Amino acid sequence: MFTGIDIGGTNTDIAVIDSQINTYKVPNTDGLDNALQKISSDGRLAVSTSQPLNEIITGHPADIRTITIPGPGLVYPGAVKGAVSHRGDVVEPIDPEEIKKIMKGQHARAIAIAGKFSVRNDALEKQVYDIVSQFYADEQIALSYPIGALNFPARIHTTKLNARIKGKVNSLIRQVKRVNPDFFFVTSTGGLTSPARALDNPMLLFHSSPATVANGAYYLSKNENCLVIDIGGTTTELVPLKNGKPIYETVVLEGSKTLIRAVSATSIPYGGDSCIRAELCPFRAGSSRSFGGGEPTLTDALNVMGARIGDAKRSEVVDHTTAQNVVHRYLDMVSSAVKEYNPAVLIGTGYLAHYLLSDIAERAQAVGIVPEHAASANAVGAAVSKVSLEVHIHVDTERKRLTLNGIAYPFKDTKDDDHLLTYVTELVRDIARKEGAPEEDIEDIEVLFYSSYDVVRGWRVTAKITDMILAIAPGISVEAL
Amino acid sequence: MTCGIVYAPSYLTHEQSSSHPERRERLSYTLDQLEEEGIFDLPQIRLLAPKPAMRDDVLLVHTPEYLHFLEEASVNGAVIDADTYVPKELIHDALLAAGGAITGADAVLNQEVKNSFVLARPPGHHAGRSHGAGFCYLNNVAIMVRHLQRRGLRRIMILDWDAHHGNGTEEIFYDDPSVLFCSVHQYPFYPGSGRFEDIGIGDGKGYNINLPIPAGSSDKVYRYLLEEMILPLADEYMPDAIAISAGQDNHFTDPLTGLALTARGYASLMQEMCILADSICYGRIIAVLEGGYSVEGGLPYTNLGLIAAMAGLDISSIREPEIYQDVLQKAVSEDAFPKVIKMVSELKKKLADHWYFINRYDFR
Repeated sequence: MFTGIDIGGTNTDIAVIDSQINTYKVPNTDGLDNALQKISSDGRLAVSTSQPLNEIITGHPADIRTITIPGPGLVYPGAVKGAVSHRGDVVEPIDPEEIKKIMKGQHARAIAIAGKFSVRNDALEKQVYDIVSQFYADEQIALSYPIGALNFPARIHTTKLNARIKGKVNSLIRQVKRVNPDFFFVTSTGGLTSPARALDNPMLLFHSSPATVANGAYYLSKNENCLVIDIGGTTTELVPLKNGKPIYETVVLEGSKTLIRAVSATSIPYGGDSCIRAELCPFRAGSSRSFGGGEPTLTDALNVMGARIGDAKRSEVVDHTTAQNVVHRYLDMVSSAVKEYNPAVLIGTGYLAHYLLSDIAERAQAVGIVPEHAASANAVGAAVSKVSLEVHIHVDTERKRLTLNGIAYPFKDTKDDDHLLTYVTELVRDIARKEGAPEEDIEDIEVLFYSSYDVVRGWRVTAKITDMILAIAPGISVEAL
Repeated sequence: MTCGIVYAPSYLTHEQSSSHPERRERLSYTLDQLEEEGIFDLPQIRLLAPKPAMRDDVLLVHTPEYLHFLEEASVNGAVIDADTYVPKELIHDALLAAGGAITGADAVLNQEVKNSFVLARPPGHHAGRSHGAGFCYLNNVAIMVRHLQRRGLRRIMILDWDAHHGNGTEEIFYDDPSVLFCSVHQYPFYPGSGRFEDIGIGDGKGYNINLPIPAGSSDKVYRYLLEEMILPLADEYMPDAIAISAGQDNHFTDPLTGLALTARGYASLMQEMCILADSICYGRIIAVLEGGYSVEGGLPYTNLGLIAAMAGLDISSIREPEIYQDVLQKAVSEDAFPKVIKMVSELKKKLADHWYFINRYDFR
C-alpha cells in the first residue's frame, strides 16, 4: 500500500493506492494532524511539504547569522579563520575563541555554517558546529557540506535557506513520525528522501508540488509528452513533460543561485480560491463561499455559471456578468501562458480541472484530458514516486580520501576506473537501500559526470583523483507500476 | 568590468606522456578552485568556448613547412627536443590552444568582454617560426597578436612574465617595431637566451626588452620592474592592446624554477596592468596561460588571483594557505633586488636612444 500526502496552499491531498486508488481532500484549516489521522500506518508514506516551506522562504526575511570559512581566495562576508584546500586538507586551523566571541550575545534565529571545500573535508565545519551547538539547538544550525557540490557562494546561500527552514522540517518530521515512523519526503525533483537526509539539506524539499503533479499526471494518464495544468486553490501551475519526465532547473532565490534542482514550472498566481473584489485578485482571502468562506472566489463564479462545487447556493452573491468576466479573464490568462509551450496535449489536474480544462484546451487549440483522480494527482504523484539521489563523489588515492556528498566513506584501493565505479555505485545503492528503497528502484545508477586525472610528482604518477556525479533518477517506483 | 575566460574541457586532453610536467593536472586544481568560488556565476565573468585556429591563422606566424611537420607528426608521433614530444592527435589540441587565444582577442575587440584570460594548453612562447621547443608547439600569443593586427590594430605590447624567456616570441617579432616584446624571466636559466643586451634588430631595434632577473626574485622585484620599466614603456609606446604571456611558474612553490612571486603579487601585477590598459588602450588585455607547474600550491591561487584582478574583484584575500610560508621564506633571496637595480640601469643605457622616458628620468 502506498500513501501520498501533498500539503498545498488550500487543501491537503491524500492518495491511498493498493488494488485501487482512493483520494481525499482535507482543508488546511483542519490542521495537518487531522489529515494524518485519516491515514493508516501500514505501507509506505510519502509527504510533499512544499507549501509550509515555501511560505517561510518567500515570507519575511529571517535573521540568520552566517559563519563562513573561506580561507584564501575571493572575499566573503562573515569570514572566520580556517581553511581547507582543494585537495581536502585542513591547511589553516579555526580559532575557537573567535567563534565563541561571535556566539556570545548572538540573537540570530539560526546559524548557517559554510566552509570552502567543506565537501572534500567537513572537519572545520564540524569544529565550528561543536562550538555553536553550545549556544544553539541542532535544528537551528545548518552546515554546508551535506549539500555535496562545489560552488561556495551557492552553497552559502543554500545553507542560509536551510538554516531558515530546518526547524520547520524538524517539527514536520516529529508530527508525521507519530503516524508512520518510516515515512519519506518528496523532493523538489519528485524523488523521495529519508527524513534524515532532508534534515541535512532541508532545501531538497523546496517547491515539491510541481514535481508531485508531474509524477501523478504521468502515472494517471501515461501520457509522455504533454503539458500538465494543475489548478489548485491558490495557484495554477504549468508543468511540461517530455518523454514522461519533467524538465529540471536550478533554483534561484533572492537573486542568487542555490545548489537545489527543481522541476521547471510556470506558476500563475490564480486558482480556485482567488477572491473576486473589483475583479479577480491574485491572492486568497479565505475559502470560497461555497466552502464556507466570506468572499466570493473563482470557484463561486464557476458555480454561478452552472457548476456544483460545494454549497453552490452560497455562491450566488456574484452576478452572472461578473462571474462570466472573471472566468473568461482566468481562461485567457492561463491559455495564453499555455500557448507559450505550444503543447499538443493538456493534462488537467487539481480540483477545478474538470470544470476549466476543456475551455483552456479549446482556447489553446490542444487536446485536453482530465484523468481519473485528477483532483488529487499531486498526492498520487507523491505516493508512487521512488527514492532518488544525486551524489557528488570525490576520490583521492594519495590522501586515501573518498567523500560522497561531503561525507567521508571508507577508502578502497581500486585497480582501475571500472573497479572504482563499481565500488562507489554500490555505496550509492547502499545509501538508497538504507533509506528504504526497493532493489528494483536502485538498479539503474546514472553517471552524470566522470573525470579523473593523474597526480604527477617528480616525473612519476603517484596518485589519481576522480570526480563523479552518480544519480538514481527520480520517477515512479517499480513497485507502484 | 567583464572578464572573458576562454576554456573548454578539451584543454585538458593534451598530454605528452602520463608523467610529463606539462599535464592535465596543471589545470585541474585551478578549475576546482574556480568552480568552488562560483566564478562562472559572477556577472563580471563570461565563459567563452575556444574555436580552433585555421591554417591561415597559424601561417600568420609559422612556416608552412613547420605546420606540415606538426600535422604529419600528429599521425604517428615525433620528438622535437628532450622534453617536447609530439603525441598523436597533437595538432587538434595545438590548434584549439592557438584558436582560444584568437577567441579571447576577438571577444575583446568585439567589446563582448573588457579583457580575457585564455586557460589554454599546450603553451606556446618557446615556439618559433619554424620549430617547437620547451613543451610548446604553436606560438599562441604570437598568432593572436598577428590576428589582432590583421583586424586593424597597429601596435601591440606583449608582456611575457613566464619564468622562462619567451625566446620563440622574441624570434618572431625581433625586427618588428609594431610589436613591443617585453619579457621578465629568470636568468641564467632555460632556454639560455634573454640577455638584456638583446634589444632587437633593424626597424625592431629598441622594441625587444629583456628583463632577466636572478633566482629568488620576489614581489618587490616585480613591482620595481613594473614601475621602473613596464609601465613607462607602455605609456610611451601607446599600444592598441596588451597581450600577456601569463606563465605562472614564477610562483615561489614552482618545482621547475627558482623565482619567488606570490599569488597576491601576481594579482597586483595584473591589477596594475588593468589600470594601465584602462588609461591607454580601452582596457584591452588578452592574457594567455603559458607555463606554471606548481599545480597545488601555486596555480589555483595565482590563476584565481589573475581572474579576480581582471574582473575587478576584491583581491585582498588572494594568497596561498599559511602552510606555505616557510617555503616562501626559503625561496626569497635578498641579493636579487640590488642585482636587478643594476641590470635595469645598464639596460636603460642601452635603450636610451630609443625611449624618451629613460632620458627624462635621468634628469631627476
